[in-house]
Amino acid sequence: MAYKIHKPARTLSDQSYVPEAAKGLALTIRRFFKNTFSKEENKVIATCQYPDEVRDYPERFRGVHRLTHRTDGSPRCVACLCCSTACPAQCIYIEPAEYEPGDARYGYERYPKVFVIDELRCIFCGFCVEACPCDAIRMDTGVHVPASFDRAHFIFDKETLMSIPGKDGTYVTANPRHEPGDPTHPGVTREAGHH
Amino acid sequence: MSTFKLDGQDVPFEPGDTIIRAAWRQGIEIPHYCWHPGLSVAANCRMCLVEIRVERPMALPILAWDDKKKQYVSATKPKLQPACQVMAQADMQVFAKSEQALKAQESTQEFLLLNHPVDCPICDQAGECKLQDYWLTSQTKLKRKRTEPVHKPKGVVFGPTIVYDAERCIMCTRCIRFCEEVAKDPVLDMRERGNTNEIVVSPGRELDNDYTLMTEHVCPVGALTSKDFRFKARVWFLKSAPGVCTGCATGCNTWVDFDPRYQRVYRLRPRDNAAVNQYWMCDDGMMTYKRFHEDRIVAGRVRDGGRVAEVSREDALDAAAAALGGVAPGKLAVVLGAQASSEDNYVLVRFAREHLGAERFYLAAKAAWKGDDILRHPDANPNRAGALRVAPTAPATLTELASDLESGAVTAVLSLGSDADVTEADLAPLSRLGAAGAGAHVNLAVNAGPLTSAASVVVPVASVAESSGTFVNAKGVAQQFRKAVSAPGTIQPAWHTLIEIGRLLGWSPDLARLADVRSAMPKALPEASEAPAAPPA
Repeated sequence: MAYKIHKPARTLSDQSYVPEAAKGLALTIRRFFKNTFSKEENKVIATCQYPDEVRDYPERFRGVHRLTHRTDGSPRCVACLCCSTACPAQCIYIEPAEYEPGDARYGYERYPKVFVIDELRCIFCGFCVEACPCDAIRMDTGVHVPASFDRAHFIFDKETLMSIPGKDGTYVTANPRHEPGDPTHPGVTREAGHH
Repeated sequence: MSTFKLDGQDVPFEPGDTIIRAAWRQGIEIPHYCWHPGLSVAANCRMCLVEIRVERPMALPILAWDDKKKQYVSATKPKLQPACQVMAQADMQVFAKSEQALKAQESTQEFLLLNHPVDCPICDQAGECKLQDYWLTSQTKLKRKRTEPVHKPKGVVFGPTIVYDAERCIMCTRCIRFCEEVAKDPVLDMRERGNTNEIVVSPGRELDNDYTLMTEHVCPVGALTSKDFRFKARVWFLKSAPGVCTGCATGCNTWVDFDPRYQRVYRLRPRDNAAVNQYWMCDDGMMTYKRFHEDRIVAGRVRDGGRVAEVSREDALDAAAAALGGVAPGKLAVVLGAQASSEDNYVLVRFAREHLGAERFYLAAKAAWKGDDILRHPDANPNRAGALRVAPTAPATLTELASDLESGAVTAVLSLGSDADVTEADLAPLSRLGAAGAGAHVNLAVNAGPLTSAASVVVPVASVAESSGTFVNAKGVAQQFRKAVSAPGTIQPAWHTLIEIGRLLGWSPDLARLADVRSAMPKALPEASEAPAAPPA
């Protein structure tokens, strides 16, 4: 169904343009004097001096990816490949690996041996962040991918992705894992349990 | 054939069929975990409970909540029975989708997930897990239990191939029954009861028989995982092509699971075939996929003097044509490959006889290995029968080839395949053949092996996973397999490569496509059963 768009009718003063042009000019002149002679806090400026002055992005701006850390500095990622499954641009490549026997995480978890994002191929849709079941990948860095003349600079590996902090300067994930063996790890085991 | 009714639909059955088996034959799935067509009935998962209406139905007195009276009232409900254990009878009325049956399935599903860790993101079974499937089809509510699940041993190494996770296990005992009934090695059992139940290996033993990977295959959840496939790929990225195992002359039917993005094969799975392998494969057969990518010959090799130079495939074709062109008729030995498909062997025989005038035929085959009376055949070659059928005369052995070379009856060799049942020292006369002109050994090979080391010119050809073809197993059953992944570079199947060499020598056969080769092959070959295009959903 087509929508009918309401268009205000033009009055004679609108059509002659003279009063409207004068109104506009008056505003411009008023702002000129206000922004030139008044105090700093009273100035009204809509533009910014871009390269010298960078405007803050909104909170949900999708910037370059980062991989969050656990408290011990290892990646929070468990290499489930949910992000690369969700990725419409197929720009995420992960090789999962297993912890060594003897490690407290052995049997419970896996980790990304290789984690590569091709930032040139990425369309910054944020699906990887949505798909991640453990808050391991985020796009809350608030920065763009830095420009470069070399394509290879856009292939971000695990170390690069882990070296980027969030906008608030933190690295650690907001979804910590109660590591097996930790006193915080809940539940009963067969050895020490009450069933 | 007599029939019974399942949810209003007529289902035919054979005498002795249970309800679930009769339905399975018709492609109707009654939800189940512990039942497997190739194993005995355990009826312990309780997922396949169905309502059976007969003249005098069994009824259970229960207390049902009456919403109007706001109290419990006496009522009856039909006694549900496991479809895997109840024999089908004519004119039986079975309801797998009645209200009571659906409620039972939902309750069973909730019960099985009570202590499940729900670690699907890191579980290798995710994507082909029955718990996930029935969660979507049979369970509508989240579990009501709010306490922490019971923790059980994880990452338990059962043997050289299998890792066990007790938390994911639903105790269906399929693995226990498989070891006992099919592998005839009752090495697995269950310990404890209730929610501390777990599968264990017999004390002092490992799960190390020849069919260990089948325990992983029958596991309906992610409790048993294969060390080889563990964490390698997500199954939803994999596609399947029908294959035939190259491990021995049984010719087990397989699904070749490959990732189309990387053109790499990740695993083999048995493909059900009642006439050949039923539902099973052995461990060595499951691992034959490694040869699709390891030890591959991807470039041509030409030996000049004592030095082997790697050349492009096109240069290797030229070198092969030059080596074969000047051979006196009758002096050329043609070595058929028991590891190569019937199509490859047929084109080899035809090229050698029609164009090169060869009369001497030999057979290269792998040495016999340990067979058993479950699946493994002592002959380690998937297509000895097929190679023998396309050979114009009974082919001689490689030992005879060596002595023929010594005596001068043969001055050049054209061989297919790299495997030999003799040592490299026995092949010394072959390696003494020169590089150029008449008197060379041209070898078409997929992997490196004794014959490639003894060759003057090696031309790379596509593996079984990279080409379609036919294998004839020891019982004489011809089975087709289909191409799964592309061969590296411009490598072609052996039959195609032979035609290319033939063209360089002026041979122009009426064979352009695989279908032409198949229709030209001798009718003595048994009719091949066509491979299905894709696995059933």
